[in-house]
Amino acid sequence: MAMHRETDKIGAVLVVGAGVAGMQAALDLANSGYYVYLTDRSPTIGGIMAQLDKTFPTNDCSMCIISPKLVEVGRHLNIEVLPDTDVETLEGELGHFRATLNRRPRYIDPVKCTGCGDCRKVCPVMAVNEFNAGLDLREATYIRYPQAVPLAFAIDRQVCIGCGLCGQVCLAQAIKYHDVPVKREIEVGAVILTVGTEVFDPSGLENYHYAQQPNVVTSLEFERILSASGPYRGHLMRPYDREEPKKIAWLQCVGSRDVRTNSYCSAVCCMYAIKEAVIAKEHAHGDLDTAIFYMDMRTYGKDFEQYYNRAREEHGVRFIRSRVHSIDPDGECDLRISYVDDRGEKQSESFDLAVLSVGFQVSESVKHLARRLGIGLNQHNFAQTDPFMPVATSRPGVYVCGTFQCPKDIPQSVMEASAAAAACSAALSEARWTRTKSKAVPPERAVSAAEPRIGVFVCNCGINIGGIVDVPAVREYARTLPQVVHVEDNLYTCSQDTQVKISKIIQEHNLNRVVVAAWTPLTHEPMFQETLIDVGLNKYLFEMANIRNQDSWVHMKEPERATAKAKDLVRMAVARARLLKPLVEKPLDITQRALVIGGGMAGLIAALNLADQGFETIIIEKDKELGGNARHLGHTIEGRDVQKFLHRLIADVENHARIQILTQALVVGFSGYKGNFTTEVLVGPGMYERKIKHGATIVATGAQEYRPREFLYGEHDQVMTLLELGHKVSQRYEVAKWDRVVMIQCVGSRNAENPNCSRICCQGAVKYALQLKDINPDLDVVILYRDLRMYGFLEDYYLKARNQGVMFARYDLDNPPQVESVDGKLRVTFNDHILNCPVQMPVDAVVLSAATRAADTEELASLLKIPRSADGFFIEAHAKLRPVDFASEGIFLCGMAHSPKLISESIAQAMAAAARAGAFLADVSQTISGVTAHVDQSRCAACLVCVKTCPYGVPHINRDNVSEINVALCQGCGTCASECPAKVIQLAHYEDDQLSAKIRAAF
Amino acid sequence: MDNLFEPKILTFLCNWCSYAGADLAGVSRFQYPPNIRVIRTMCSGRVDPTQVIEGLRSGFDSVFVFGCHFGDCHYLEGNYHTARRMQLVRQLLELAGIGPDRLQLRWVSAAEGQLFADYVTELTELTRELGPLRASRWQLPLAAVQRACNSPRLRWLLGMDRQLTEKQNVYEQRLDADAFQDLLRQCAKLEYQQALLVEALQDGPKTVRQMAALTGLPVYCVSLRLNDLERTGQADLLEYEGTSPKFRLMAA
Repeated sequence: MAMHRETDKIGAVLVVGAGVAGMQAALDLANSGYYVYLTDRSPTIGGIMAQLDKTFPTNDCSMCIISPKLVEVGRHLNIEVLPDTDVETLEGELGHFRATLNRRPRYIDPVKCTGCGDCRKVCPVMAVNEFNAGLDLREATYIRYPQAVPLAFAIDRQVCIGCGLCGQVCLAQAIKYHDVPVKREIEVGAVILTVGTEVFDPSGLENYHYAQQPNVVTSLEFERILSASGPYRGHLMRPYDREEPKKIAWLQCVGSRDVRTNSYCSAVCCMYAIKEAVIAKEHAHGDLDTAIFYMDMRTYGKDFEQYYNRAREEHGVRFIRSRVHSIDPDGECDLRISYVDDRGEKQSESFDLAVLSVGFQVSESVKHLARRLGIGLNQHNFAQTDPFMPVATSRPGVYVCGTFQCPKDIPQSVMEASAAAAACSAALSEARWTRTKSKAVPPERAVSAAEPRIGVFVCNCGINIGGIVDVPAVREYARTLPQVVHVEDNLYTCSQDTQVKISKIIQEHNLNRVVVAAWTPLTHEPMFQETLIDVGLNKYLFEMANIRNQDSWVHMKEPERATAKAKDLVRMAVARARLLKPLVEKPLDITQRALVIGGGMAGLIAALNLADQGFETIIIEKDKELGGNARHLGHTIEGRDVQKFLHRLIADVENHARIQILTQALVVGFSGYKGNFTTEVLVGPGMYERKIKHGATIVATGAQEYRPREFLYGEHDQVMTLLELGHKVSQRYEVAKWDRVVMIQCVGSRNAENPNCSRICCQGAVKYALQLKDINPDLDVVILYRDLRMYGFLEDYYLKARNQGVMFARYDLDNPPQVESVDGKLRVTFNDHILNCPVQMPVDAVVLSAATRAADTEELASLLKIPRSADGFFIEAHAKLRPVDFASEGIFLCGMAHSPKLISESIAQAMAAAARAGAFLADVSQTISGVTAHVDQSRCAACLVCVKTCPYGVPHINRDNVSEINVALCQGCGTCASECPAKVIQLAHYEDDQLSAKIRAAF
Repeated sequence: MDNLFEPKILTFLCNWCSYAGADLAGVSRFQYPPNIRVIRTMCSGRVDPTQVIEGLRSGFDSVFVFGCHFGDCHYLEGNYHTARRMQLVRQLLELAGIGPDRLQLRWVSAAEGQLFADYVTELTELTRELGPLRASRWQLPLAAVQRACNSPRLRWLLGMDRQLTEKQNVYEQRLDADAFQDLLRQCAKLEYQQALLVEALQDGPKTVRQMAALTGLPVYCVSLRLNDLERTGQADLLEYEGTSPKFRLMAA
């Protein structure tokens, strides 16, 4: 390794804010070879997502999908989690920053705290529980939520009276009343701000009576009401009397799209309101009536429109387009909502629960932070960014992502987090692996031939186990089990000093199997396995008995039976431990080269970033020219010149030493697996064949504008699409002569044929309307829309267009506008929904906001074995947390091939894909898990059951006509083993005899 | 009518001052009404709030506690603790709607036989004016007050009162005495309301509205306190009656 010079960039990154975006950025960077300092103001990581019940559009449990990430971040060797920490100053520049961190006292040592909660039980003072959004109380000694990382309590000094009781009951001696703030200076090469936003507090809006009426709640409170870990244990109840509500109303745009509060759109509230309504209906015992009061239904994300349709059609959620005037008390605790409907008539309706769909805003503390760090803010106090550099702040080397960049949902935040990681990774690539830690692993002891020598460690967990289960009895019982040569019980088996002790005992007693009876393996197994590795014992020679979460904690009133169960669990664990085998984790060979399929904006950005990260990259483009759809765009809605940017980007890509471009290239073959792909391409007019070996693949095949069959398109030459209008606008002379133009939204979108929303056409129409008004202020522009989906800061342009006299008129799907050609002149007729009568007008041009449809990728999808949705867009591994990954590892997705999106969003997603691919390529020390399926090929009948069963399509029948499972691809679920008719597949570590031994040992 | 009512009054006397004072009243033949029934404790500090409530629940119309004057306590400062503790019990009685005056605390030295007789006369008259307690009517609130008096949280705060407000807490700070009294009152209120719900649920599961009707607490208050019980594993949802959830007590 080269010597570290003074001028070298620093291979470490500071990530400020540990919500889901911060965690993603930290993981991507740490996996890419950078050391990460991950700070959070609160005592734990996880952010707002940890508070949510379910997540749209998949209705996954939020905690279930975020907690593995929490554990991964908490255990990562190269992520230093710094809770309770503020960033005070930041000096220096890209590559060489010096940050001063201030850790506020927490009064409980997170290293010593085992999270047992004994301190909480005795604490005599109460505070409002912010995690449950103020619906209930908590003690002054608290943990934000049970799955928190670090899993350690803190003392809320604001309410603590210092009585000292927690200090007396804490057996781990973790309470530190004399904790003081600690300042620390760190050196980093770059900074990512993922500080997030706060939810709007509606107390100030007196017409909603939020502060006075218990049955008026915010959407965050409602998430907690629905959550199984919330104050009502997931039962749908209203706060006032805990009755199940029969009628619930949601009020959209509270603290959003309102010039009194925040004028921008918070971008997520429409979807979460629909989700909450659907989930509430699922929870209800009686008939639940749900109504959403809204201005525009903004379900613009991938597959969101279908979610909206299902809510309306299948679940019967009522959607009331309206302006709500007030919520007033009605009787004892009901609420009367007064509103004006879309015909301008006053209405009112009574409900027994009202949910205010509150938006996001930047908190005061974040504004201060931005000031301290010298970051420019926009007019709404969010970080100022450029559409072409969506994750760069005004200060070079300081990046931003998540809701502090602009209000957005979780997948968008996760995507941007990876994008910010990509930006850092490209900027600091020369310093990769210079600051990271690695672990020296001693050589492994051979144990396979040896007689099992089992050590059993039983945990008291303070009094959490020992207070119920008779731990000494369990320990003595374990001593009597065959091949158990050593037993111990510990106050806290998980504590650091016990690890040292266990290591010593393993060596002294020459143990070759270890059983720990304590907590759940979900959080603690990796830690104990590390202890084994440290003394040269294979980590698969370890087994746990969960005698806390699944015994002492759930049988608190039956100590004797709990003890008997603990003995059973220990006996079962020992029985399996006896049969455990050491497994080898083979290194994964990785070809450090990336292939990008698609040379549009997304593909170019991804390739350039990967190349800047130091990876050789090949771009395959089917056209002659690079640039894709972006070639047809003049300016962004913000007024940035797309062509100028694109030309520079193409030049950068073409001139990059590490990038190879193959135009007029067609993928005809694809084989291999993560790290080792081979792609066959036919290149150029000569169609010569090339084989490319690469370790990662990025799919960026884009999308295309729909060719309308509606509204005389193709029949009258003054009927055009948005892209076609774009050309005319940049030429100016023709449009300058127009007197009136009508734009029709949702052409080929949001209908039976294509139920999805194309996301970008509303802003496209408004953008061109503004540009037309700029050319000719007297021009009449009428936009006929269904819902105007100007999410986030796009709302600013909607406001601007209205102020400049652009007319907006709404139409319904069942009553679309009519476009006629009368003597060659165009005439448009539409229904005015306020006057409820038809309006007819002659126009010079009709502009159709044509849908964005998927490109033809059927063949590519079948070659790469990657899934597509019914409408032809590729399907990512997980809609929420893996927005740019495919389920097949080593293949990534970005741009409009994923779904329609803005240039800025495509750029962010392309960078995200580059980050994910880069992190994968960078880590050459990756190994393949030992828990994989193996076929006894001598007995395989090639019946294809495994091939059909595997959810990942891994087994295949090889040339010898037997099933073969590539361990590098096997995910280790074991489904094939359970289905194999000949019983010739075994899943390592969960072999038949290991499971049977456990079953038989239960008696 | 009033003259017909002869209250029965439970009286605690500390060994060193007030009991001796009462004896002196006897030696001196100072007369007082025959309504009190005396229990001798070594110090007024031994009088546990729960015993005061037990007295009322058993049929006494009021409870008097006598101790030494401040500074005279045989055990140095037992009576300071008594004073704070009885103040809290009076607050609880007030919360329960019974009124604070059913509990009276007075200081009498061994030399104040006359004062003892005067106090007993005056306080007996006061009880007579309050009328009979009829504990059976106050069953639920009295049971709740007693439960609150036995709550470890409240007892701990009470026990730490002087340490925290006159000496120092673990952060080496002294808490403001008035603020601490507010906190105590707040805690007593929460504990009392929780205890009411626990008592209300003793004879079977109930809806929030049923609990409110039984306890007289506002509906929303029941909802909030019920939540405290659920959070600490003392109550949970049993079943639905239509769309009304019924809650039950968890076995202790």
